[in-house]
Amino acid sequence: MKVKYNIDIVASSPLRVIKRRVSRAMPDSGKMKKPDVKLVILGDMNVGKTSLLHRYMERKFKETISTIGGAFFLKQWGPYTISIWDTAGREQFHGLGSMYCRGASAVILTYDVTNWQSLAELEERFLSLTDTAKDDCIFAIVGNKADLTDPKVLEVEPEEEGTGQPPVCSPPTVSPIVRKQVQREEAIALYGRILRYKLQDERSSLPAERMCFETSAKTATMWTCCSRHCLTWSFPPS
Amino acid sequence: MSVKAFELVPAVERELLMGDKARINIECIECCGKHLYVGTNDCFIHHFLLEEHTTPKGKLVFSAQKVLHKYLGLKKPVNELKAASALERLMVLCDNTVIVVDMVNLEAVSSGGAKIKGVVAFCVNENPVNGDPFCVEMGVICAKRRTVQIYMVYEDRVQMVKEVSTPEQPCAVCLDGYFLCLALSSQYMILNYSTGASQDLFPYDSEEKKPIVKRIGREEFLLAAPGGLGMFATAAGVSQRAPVNWSESVIGAAVSFPYVVALDEGFVTVHSMLDQQLKQTLSFRDGHILQDFEGKVMLASTKAVYVLVPRPLERQIQDLLAGHRVEEALTLAEGAQRNIPKDKFQIMHRRILQQAGFIQFGQLQFLEAKEHFRKGQLDVRELISLYPLLLPSSSSFTRCHPPLHEFADLNHLAQGDQEKVQRCKLFLISYLREARSTEGANGCREDVDTALLKLYAEANHESLLDLLASDNACLLADSAPWLEKHHKYFALGLLYHYNGQDDAALQLWVRVVDGDLQDSTRSDLYEYVVDFLSFCSSLDLVWKYAEWALQKEQKVGVQIFTRRAVSDEQEAQMSPDAVIKRLHKYHQATVLYLEHLVLGRRVQKEAFHTHLAVLYLEKVLSLLSQSPAPAQQVTEAREKLQNLLKESSLYRVQLLLDKLQDTDLLLECATLHGKLEEHDKALHILVHRLKDFPAAEDYCAWASASRDQGYRQRLFHLLLGVYLGPDAPGNEHTVAAVDLLNRHAVMFDPAHVLRLLPEGWSLQLLRPFLCGALRGATHARHTSQVALGLARSENLLLKHDRLKYRGGPVLVSEKKGCQLCHNTFTEPDCVCLPGGVPVHTHCAAQRVRDSPRKRQSTNPSNHT
Ligand SMILES: Nc1nc2c(ncn2[C@@H]2O[C@H](COP(=O)(O)OP(=O)(O)OP(=O)(O)O)[C@@H](O)[C@H]2O)c(=O)[nH]1
Ligand SMILES: [Mg+2]
Repeated sequence: MKVKYNIDIVASSPLRVIKRRVSRAMPDSGKMKKPDVKLVILGDMNVGKTSLLHRYMERKFKETISTIGGAFFLKQWGPYTISIWDTAGREQFHGLGSMYCRGASAVILTYDVTNWQSLAELEERFLSLTDTAKDDCIFAIVGNKADLTDPKVLEVEPEEEGTGQPPVCSPPTVSPIVRKQVQREEAIALYGRILRYKLQDERSSLPAERMCFETSAKTATMWTCCSRHCLTWSFPPS
Repeated sequence: MSVKAFELVPAVERELLMGDKARINIECIECCGKHLYVGTNDCFIHHFLLEEHTTPKGKLVFSAQKVLHKYLGLKKPVNELKAASALERLMVLCDNTVIVVDMVNLEAVSSGGAKIKGVVAFCVNENPVNGDPFCVEMGVICAKRRTVQIYMVYEDRVQMVKEVSTPEQPCAVCLDGYFLCLALSSQYMILNYSTGASQDLFPYDSEEKKPIVKRIGREEFLLAAPGGLGMFATAAGVSQRAPVNWSESVIGAAVSFPYVVALDEGFVTVHSMLDQQLKQTLSFRDGHILQDFEGKVMLASTKAVYVLVPRPLERQIQDLLAGHRVEEALTLAEGAQRNIPKDKFQIMHRRILQQAGFIQFGQLQFLEAKEHFRKGQLDVRELISLYPLLLPSSSSFTRCHPPLHEFADLNHLAQGDQEKVQRCKLFLISYLREARSTEGANGCREDVDTALLKLYAEANHESLLDLLASDNACLLADSAPWLEKHHKYFALGLLYHYNGQDDAALQLWVRVVDGDLQDSTRSDLYEYVVDFLSFCSSLDLVWKYAEWALQKEQKVGVQIFTRRAVSDEQEAQMSPDAVIKRLHKYHQATVLYLEHLVLGRRVQKEAFHTHLAVLYLEKVLSLLSQSPAPAQQVTEAREKLQNLLKESSLYRVQLLLDKLQDTDLLLECATLHGKLEEHDKALHILVHRLKDFPAAEDYCAWASASRDQGYRQRLFHLLLGVYLGPDAPGNEHTVAAVDLLNRHAVMFDPAHVLRLLPEGWSLQLLRPFLCGALRGATHARHTSQVALGLARSENLLLKHDRLKYRGGPVLVSEKKGCQLCHNTFTEPDCVCLPGGVPVHTHCAAQRVRDSPRKRQSTNPSNHT
């Protein structure tokens, strides 16, 4: 199954974009118009945030170096200018996260499907950074490196943690954490907890099936049981 | 990292400042216009005048001249200096006290009010909300715990206007509008001193490392962040630019758009704010202070002061382009847009885009190159001129100066790599095609089209012909030799034609057809020429080349005339008569042309018909004269002749008849007799000489085809007469006669026939005829009886209707009233309404007039 990787964003609640009319003109040195919507990608180091963005912006997979501080891109979505912030997952830069998230309309929480700890970190370390995001911020949980999942491990796993063989792991970085493959159900459960944390009503929010999916920046393939095989959000005119 | 954005130029050298006193260090500097103030650790303020000079080589140098130095008398280092030029005051931080001194004589202003005690650090608001030009707003961090105070500094006094407390002890401050940007001991924050609202930015351990807080523009600050980052933050607490990556040991930072300059232990680094990339590194030891003053970036070690002089933007861009760093060059140019007047920027930007395009072109990145050429509105000829010989020699184009690229020409660029050359040529083809379809070729269409033609010709490109066949501006003088060189004679002919030189075109094509020149573009060039001539409007040319075309192949050549639009014939030169006269020599062509006139266009003119018939006849005769005569051809030729003789009625019959005398063409003879209505002669020939009875019957049918039944019957009777006539020997004709009768029974009048038939014939023999005749007669009788019956019954029906309408007797009396007007009848004339109701004639008429639609229902019937 080969599906075009797609985080192009399409349809939902009209509350999402509240354009700030109070124009704080950008300082003399700015060169581009002020973005209308901010999207932030969060996640532990090495989960592939930068790679996902490359895939999205340039439609290719290339070698990355661990992001320093943060980087951002501008993208035109119809009439809106979207700024997409790629954050650094390294602990050292953790403190900058809430500033990046300030006023964000969407947050993509990224984990590495072959690294259970990276999912846990989302809740422990990254979720609180989103306190500065907009109240009606949209969340998506993306499991990257799905190309590395080992189906055998998934079958064995229902038993107790640690009894399963450590799965074949992803590239070079050596992590002290015991890697364990993540199942999509765990991400969906996390999504529910996030909504509760954010005091968002689960029924009126975007369904977990659509907002949690697994993908691979490397092969540009999506593994998900959602019917549309793509994540769709929307930024309708305000 | 090859941009040279800044040059490090010494401003105040060590000797000037401290001579040989080794223990004296620079603590702080302030620059304001030409005035440079330096504070030292031995509590001195030095005042210099800094003059800028340009050396003959174009280098910028500074010469400093010491004006004054002043000892503050505290034995403590001078920590900070800030000038308020409008007030001519200098604010000095020394020994935790801010004092205000005169900028000129460095004397403390007299009144004791101009002093603030217990100060850790202070800053000046460069964007004050209060617009009073005669005071300066100052933010002060107090040694007293966790407080920031706002002061107004006037010429002779200072006044505190606000005091705000902070959650932690601040250690660095910057002010913009109402916003204080503070470095606290464990984080940075924004504090609105007017509303008291605060906004945490991010954690930073100020105790561990000296924080940097730097205003870079309206409501935007640059801060040192963990990991040696330079973070941008707005007063609203968001980041609008990605951070720059300094080293962990960064000491100071300054902004000189579009660059962020930072100082660490060994280097000055220059990052672009536009793409966050490191652009330049200057080695600088013992760096101590880096600050920008009104756009001028100054740098100080502990012993000397330097200026970082920005190199002109265009030079930087040119450097980037020279390093083939196209994207960076463009980013830099576009980032500087707002600092350059619009028209000047546009010219510069265009040029950079064009240069960028050529760089990418040189790297064969055609897509990108094209985009840049398009955006930079490149004069296409710049590109064409790279390709040797493509621009017409008459073109007035000269390359732009200074040149947009480093290439002499395509060969230089490709370094002999033929594949590269080819790819470049293909690119130019597509580029020129696009330029033609947009306004890109405005003003130089000739150059563009001629270049395109040359490329097409060279590449054997199929679009060459399309180009020439459509609207184009190819220069003949320049293109002709090129096309000849590439043996594109057909194309050259088209070009001649496009330029109204049909004669030259035809001459060329004729030579190709004749094999004098080689060009395989069209294998059917001869047919093409014929077709061309059939449309050619110059009759002289047509005659000139028709001869040639006919000599080659009459059958094809004649199409020059047969395909010609009829309207052309209005001209006497092209009238059919004239053509036939010309075609005289060419027998086959004449025949074809006449066929075209007579059979194709059905021209009703005796001369053509006769001519054609005679030619057909001659053909038959000539075939027959061969021995042995080719049977197949004879049959075909005769068929044609016969058809013409039968179908046409315009030719001169007698003339042909004369020519047919003494020949064996009896069938044709018969036809001709038929045309003269000499049916007996014709039938005689058919029956007695040809003995072809079916032909005789056909003749009857043909000769009477457009006549009435009686005429036809007469002909059949005539034929019967010939069969039964006195000069009919034997019973051969008897059989024919019987067959005729039996087959065409209806064509005969039986009574007449019976009278004619010899007595001896058996009834049995004529059974089909008689039966047919009888049946025909009976049928006719029955049919007429049926018709009669039908007519009668129709008549009866009508009568019935009439009676029905009339009804019974209608009584009209003077006592009886009219149904419509209710007056009595005075006269017997009346009209009966359906149902027999009598009304006045005029009432009925009135009613009919009033309701025209009911007209049918009133069926007037007069009754007297
Ligand atoms: N097999 C596989 N490897 C991937 C995939 N995505 C990223 N990687 C690899 O994972 C490593 C880390 O990728 P990055 O995109 O730099 O990770 P990051 O999340 O940006 O890391 P930080 O910037 O340090 O926060 C790189 O070696 C990538 O090549 C994927 O989908 N499949
Ligand atoms: Mg990264």
